[in-house]
Amino acid sequence: MISTQLVLTLSAILFGLGALGVLVRRNAIVVFMCIELMLNAVNLSFVAFARNWADLSGQIAVFFVMVVAAAEAAVGLAIIISVFRASKSIETADASELRA
Amino acid sequence: MHMGIEVVIFAIKLFLVFNIIMGLASFCTWVERKGSALIQDRVGANRAGAYFDFNLDIVRGFPSFLRPLGAPVTYALLLPVVTGIKIAGQLGIINTLLNDAVKALFKEDFVPDGVSNFMHSLAPFLAVLPVFVAFAILPFAPEFTVLGTVVRPQLAPIDVGILFFLAMGSVAVYGVALAGWTGNNKYSLLGALRASAQMISYELAMGISVVTIIIFYGTPDLFKIVELQEGSILQWGVFRNIGTGLIAMIAFFIAGMAETKRAPFDLPESESELVAGYFTEYSGMKFLIFWLGEFAEIALFSFVMVLLFFGGWHIPFVHLPAGVWWVALIGHGVLMAKVLFFCVLQIVIRWTLPRFRYDQLMNLGWKFLLPLSMVNLVIAAAWELSK
Amino acid sequence: MVAFAILSVILLVSALGVLFFHNPLHSALSLITNMMGIAAMFALLDAHFLATVQIIVYAGAVMVLVVFVLMLLNIKEEGPRKTTRLFVLSCFVAGGLFMYFGVPIMYNAFAQFPAFNPNFNGSMQTLGKELYTNYIFPFEAASVLIMAAVAGAVMLAKRKFR
Repeated sequence: MISTQLVLTLSAILFGLGALGVLVRRNAIVVFMCIELMLNAVNLSFVAFARNWADLSGQIAVFFVMVVAAAEAAVGLAIIISVFRASKSIETADASELRA
Repeated sequence: MHMGIEVVIFAIKLFLVFNIIMGLASFCTWVERKGSALIQDRVGANRAGAYFDFNLDIVRGFPSFLRPLGAPVTYALLLPVVTGIKIAGQLGIINTLLNDAVKALFKEDFVPDGVSNFMHSLAPFLAVLPVFVAFAILPFAPEFTVLGTVVRPQLAPIDVGILFFLAMGSVAVYGVALAGWTGNNKYSLLGALRASAQMISYELAMGISVVTIIIFYGTPDLFKIVELQEGSILQWGVFRNIGTGLIAMIAFFIAGMAETKRAPFDLPESESELVAGYFTEYSGMKFLIFWLGEFAEIALFSFVMVLLFFGGWHIPFVHLPAGVWWVALIGHGVLMAKVLFFCVLQIVIRWTLPRFRYDQLMNLGWKFLLPLSMVNLVIAAAWELSK
Repeated sequence: MVAFAILSVILLVSALGVLFFHNPLHSALSLITNMMGIAAMFALLDAHFLATVQIIVYAGAVMVLVVFVLMLLNIKEEGPRKTTRLFVLSCFVAGGLFMYFGVPIMYNAFAQFPAFNPNFNGSMQTLGKELYTNYIFPFEAASVLIMAAVAGAVMLAKRKFR
């Protein structure tokens, strides 16, 4: 029997690590990957709660989070490609001009 | 005690499934070599082991009082073995299964300059592991009862069976992409990207065919799907629902051949003949792992097609009692015969048709198969609802 | 329980790998491992359909996109950190975020909600029924969202004709 508290603690640790990655790394794609890590941590806590309270809304929320994350991945990577084409670098500090 | 029985049964099932995979992959390799030779009107491999012979000098080592007995006994014991080896050699079995493996083992194993050693070695495993894992959800015989316990010959009886197979198809893309990237040259990378784009495009048509199948049977559990096909031959997936089963089978077959990068969709491999393919920088054992994975994937697709569309282990006009162990053996034999038929069919198609151009391939995937599968899905759903 | 312990170790190690590898392709491979671990965790928590969908969508499509972008743009490693002050500050911020979620969990602040309910039917049939009856509007809205995202991505990444 897996205790829900343990799973939630694990999810909180993963979320914290993802947040650390977003703040520390300068490569735009790695920042994007850490955002995906945070979303996965949130999915994990949704599923843990769904099992805890025998309510399927948790799993449906996970379903929609996955859909939105996939859409965001497509658009976000397209933006990164455009920025890379304009400034030839994907360090987040180099996209500081308002005009390309 | 009960837990011990479960572990033993699981270990036996694991051993059997591994043997099935290796046996099917080896058989497909041999049929590829010799069958392609027959189709192309040449002889093929028939040298290794075909001139194996023995002499009776070993009888000289026997003690003197045994020597008169020694010769006939040795002759009688060794004659079948030697004849077997000669016949196998002439059919090309020893050449394909033994010589190629030993040659690949002793080749130099190199990593291109400037490429991470870990990723270069990881790519063959990423290409092959999903195929092997996907064999876990396939049932290979009907259920039977032995010593009071019901044994279901399926390594992982999960209730979302077929979707796991789709998931493993999605993961297999990484092996190809990584193999092309670690080749450290543009041709390798472009070949790998084309191959992955092909695999991803045809996954869609395959997924929609699988959804059509789930509509027919009402459950994605593979064991229940095969159980629902018993009875007459009209219960088989191919003949269900006024022809939508047939179209789903055709779409699944074409998409499956494109997934395994077999001809006529073998642009990734043909590039090895033209410029360089995605496994150009692989030699020796790693190349053999890719090769084995490709044939295991052929076996996997044939297996899944037989389970979904062609009745699994059911013989058309014969009704056998359920739950008996010898019926399970017969069922397993029938299943393997059907799977081998489809493996050989895929190999024969490879050596018969010319390959597609890349834009023809993409057109077929996106503009023909995907709308066909979707319309098929809608018609199948409407028919199922109107029942 | 043993499976949960092993999976947690895999999840934590791969998350640290995502953060601390220099080569972004190694980070991507770590994230793929993490997503497979999360899929296994879903399966342990009786959400089998979601585990399969996680592998198909996340590990099999989103990460393939990321890996392709990394390969095509030939992203190299980033240089060394310019200052450690920002790193330490970020550690404190992330630790604060963890504490914000972790403290209520550890002090069991959600005990005020209904207790653990052991009859959980997380099968595919019930999930599908729920999705198509109570949540049909978000479902259709999600399909419109995906179509908009596809159109947007194609438009953004196309080369402008001179």
